[in-house]
Amino acid sequence: MKVIKKIIGSKLFITLVWIAVIIVIWEVLAFRVAEVKRTPENVLPHLTGVVDSLTSSKTINGSQTALEMVLENAGATLSRAALGYVIGIASGFVLALLMSLSGIIEKIAFPYLMLIQLIPILGMAPIINAITGDIAISRIVIAAILTFYPVAANTLAGFKAVRREAHELMYSYAANKFQLYTKTMIPACIPYFFTGLKISAPMAITASILVDTLQGGIGLGCLLSQSLKGAMTRYVFWDIVFFSAVIGILSFYLMGVLEILLCPYKRLEKKGR
Amino acid sequence: MAVKSISKRRSAVQSVVLPLIFGAALITAWQTGLLHILLNTDEYVLPYPTRIITIISENTDKIMVNVWASVQVAVLGLLLGSLLGYLIAIFAATFPKFGSGGLTIVSAFNAIPIVALAPVIINWTKDVSSEAEVRSTFAKIIVVTVVSMASMSVNAYRGLTELPVFSDDLMKTYAAGRLTEFTKLRLPNSVPYIFTALRVSVPGSVISALVSEYFAEYVIGVGRQIRENILIAQYSTAWAYIVTACIVGIVMYAILMVIEALVMKKRK
Amino acid sequence: MIGAKEKNNIEIMLDNVGMTYDAADGKKVQALTSVTMDIHKGEFISLLGPSGCGKTTLLRIIADLLQPTSGKVLIGGETPKEARLKRKYGMVFQSAVLYDWRTVIKNIELPLEIIHESKAERRERAVKMLDLVGLSEFADHYPRQLSGGMQQRVGIARALALQPEILLMDEPFSALDEFTREKLHIDLLKIWRKTNKTIIFVTHNISESVFLSDRVCVLSPHPGRLSAVIDIDLPRPRAMEIRDTPEFTALVSKVRNSFEGV
Repeated sequence: MKVIKKIIGSKLFITLVWIAVIIVIWEVLAFRVAEVKRTPENVLPHLTGVVDSLTSSKTINGSQTALEMVLENAGATLSRAALGYVIGIASGFVLALLMSLSGIIEKIAFPYLMLIQLIPILGMAPIINAITGDIAISRIVIAAILTFYPVAANTLAGFKAVRREAHELMYSYAANKFQLYTKTMIPACIPYFFTGLKISAPMAITASILVDTLQGGIGLGCLLSQSLKGAMTRYVFWDIVFFSAVIGILSFYLMGVLEILLCPYKRLEKKGR
Repeated sequence: MAVKSISKRRSAVQSVVLPLIFGAALITAWQTGLLHILLNTDEYVLPYPTRIITIISENTDKIMVNVWASVQVAVLGLLLGSLLGYLIAIFAATFPKFGSGGLTIVSAFNAIPIVALAPVIINWTKDVSSEAEVRSTFAKIIVVTVVSMASMSVNAYRGLTELPVFSDDLMKTYAAGRLTEFTKLRLPNSVPYIFTALRVSVPGSVISALVSEYFAEYVIGVGRQIRENILIAQYSTAWAYIVTACIVGIVMYAILMVIEALVMKKRK
Repeated sequence: MIGAKEKNNIEIMLDNVGMTYDAADGKKVQALTSVTMDIHKGEFISLLGPSGCGKTTLLRIIADLLQPTSGKVLIGGETPKEARLKRKYGMVFQSAVLYDWRTVIKNIELPLEIIHESKAERRERAVKMLDLVGLSEFADHYPRQLSGGMQQRVGIARALALQPEILLMDEPFSALDEFTREKLHIDLLKIWRKTNKTIIFVTHNISESVFLSDRVCVLSPHPGRLSAVIDIDLPRPRAMEIRDTPEFTALVSKVRNSFEGV
C-alpha cells in the first residue's frame, strides 16, 4: 500500500497523468474532427495516424520513408542550431567575463545587452539571410544571436551574485585576479550559466527551423513548408510538429542533466532550514 | 573622502556617455560604409541609416497600419495569455498536488518551437470567420497567448506559493478563510512575480506576433512586411520595417517599466 | 612604562586609528575615533559592542579591507597590506562562506592552492586541520550536507590552513543557536590553546566575550570609540561551568556597566 501511495504521490506520476489527460482530450477532439471534416489530418489527426506515418515503410518522395526524411532534415537543421548555440554560448560567456573584469566594458555593453532582448531577432531572420547570402550560415548566426543574450545576462548575474565575503576571503589570501576567477567567480556562476543554457537551447532550435522556412533546400522548416503546401502527405507536417516539440523539450532537459553531471553537489538536499 | 562622491558621479556620467559614444561610432561606421566592408555586404542589402529614415518618413501611414496590426496581436495575446497563465497558477496553488504537475506540462510549452505552433493554430482557426483578416488575427493572437501563458503561470505560481515565512500561519491565527488568505496575502505577494513574468513575455509577445504573421493567411503586420519586402528584394523597405519592429519592442518594454514603477512605488 | 621584553611581545599595534566616511546625505560620519591599543602575541581579544560602534570597521582595518582615514596600524611591525600579502592572518566571517562546489577537504585546501602548495602537502595539512576541528569523518561531504555549526568549524579550519599568526573572527557564531555556540566556544578555546594564535574576536554578546577572552575591548557608538578595556582574569582552561561562578557574573556586569551612551 505504501509503495502504491508513494508512486501516486510522485511528480513523475502526476506529470504522466496530465499527459494522459491531454492525449484523451486530443483523441476526443480528433474523433469529432474526423466526423465533420473532409481532410481531418489537416486540422487534427489521430495520434495513431501520426505514429503510423512515422513507423510506416512506405516511401514518400520515392526513396525515403517519412521517418528517414524527418531525421535527415532534422540533422541538417539541428547541426546548424547546435553550432550556432555553441558560438552563442562562447561569445555570451566571454562578454559576461569581460563585463565583470572591466567597468568600462560593462558600462558600454550593458544597455546594448538589454536592447538585444527587446529587438525581435527572429523577425530579422530574412534580412540576415540576405546579408549572409547563405541559409546555412544564417541559421548559425541567428541561433548564435538568440543564445547569446540569455547566456551573457545570466552569467553576468552569476558573477554579480558572488557574495562580498567570498571576494574578501580571496583578498585576504592575496589571491591574484586569475585565481579569483578560476577558484571563485567561474565555479560560482555555473548554475546561472546553465539557466542561460536552458532558456536558449529551445530558442536556438526554433530559430534554426524558422530560418529553414525562408528558403527551399534541406531542413525541418523547408520540409514543414512543403508539407503545408501539399507537396507531400500532411502527416509529415505533424511528424515535424511533434518531433520539434520533443527535441525542444529534450534540449532543455539535456542541459539540466549536464548541469547535474558537472555539479554533483546540486543533487544534495540542503540540510536544515 | 570627498573624492569618493566625485568618483561616483563620474561613474554615473560614464555609464551614459560611454554607450552613447559606442552607438554613435556604430552608426557612423554604418553611414560611412565601414560596416559594409566588415560584414562583407553592400548598401543595397544593408542600406545607409539616412536612407532607412527617409523611407520610414515617406511611408509613415502604411507602416502605422502594419504596426497597429502587430501591436494589436501582441497586446491582446499577451493579456489573454497572462490572464490564462495566472488562472492556471491559481489552480495549481489551490490544488498543489496535481497542479504543480500540470505546471510542468505548461512550462514544457515554453520549449516547443513557436514556429511549429503557428501553422497548427492557423489550421484550427479556419472556421472562426469567413473573413481572412479576422481569422488570421485570431490565429495570431492564439499563438501569442500560448507563448505568454507559460512564463506567467510559472512565475505567478511562485508568487502565490513562496510566501514570507510564517505569513500563512499568521493568516491561520486570524482564522482567515481561503478567499481572505488569497486576497490579503497571496495576491499581493504575487505582484512582483507578475512583473517578472511580463519582463520576459512582453518582448516574447512582440517576437511571436511577428513570427506568427509569416504563416498567416492574411498579409499584414510588421513581421510579414519584412519578409514580403525581402522576397521582392525591396531591402530598404524591409529595413524600415526592421527598425520599426525594434522601436515597437523597445516602446512596449518601456511602457511595462513605467507601469511597474507606478505599481511598485506604492510598496516602497 | 612598557618593558623591552613586553614590546617584543606586541603583535598588533593600533595608534590613533580613526575612520570617517561620507554618508549618503553628504554628512561626515565618524565610524571610529582614535583607537589606541596594543595586542600581544597569543592573546585572545574581543571587540565588543552594539551595532554601529565600529567594531567590525576596526577588524576590517586590521585585515586591510578598509583604509583608516587617520592613525596607523602595525602588525608585527608591518602595515596591514604587507601582513596580508604575507598571509599573516586568517579570516573567519559571520557565515562560513564555504564553496558549494567543493567538498569539505577541498574547501580547506583552497587557500593552499592559492599559494601553490604541492598536492600532497595540501592534503596533509588539510587533514590535520580537519582533525583539529574534529570533522575528519566529513572530509568528503559537501558543505550543504553539514549543519551550521559544522560549517563554521570548517571555516575555522580553512582560516588556520595557511598557518597564520593571527585569526580575525567577525561575529563567527552569531548565526548559531545557543547550544551549538557554547560547544563551539569550548572547541575554539581548545584550538587556540593548541595552536597559540593571536585571536581578535568581534561580537555583540557580552557573556561570549567574557568567556573567551583575555581582554575585552568595549566599543561604544556615536561616534564609535574604545570606551574601556577590561582584563578577564578567569583561570584557564575554562570549562562551561565557569559561567555559573560569581566571578564570571561580576565580570559580565563590569563589562555591561562600561558602555557609554547606548
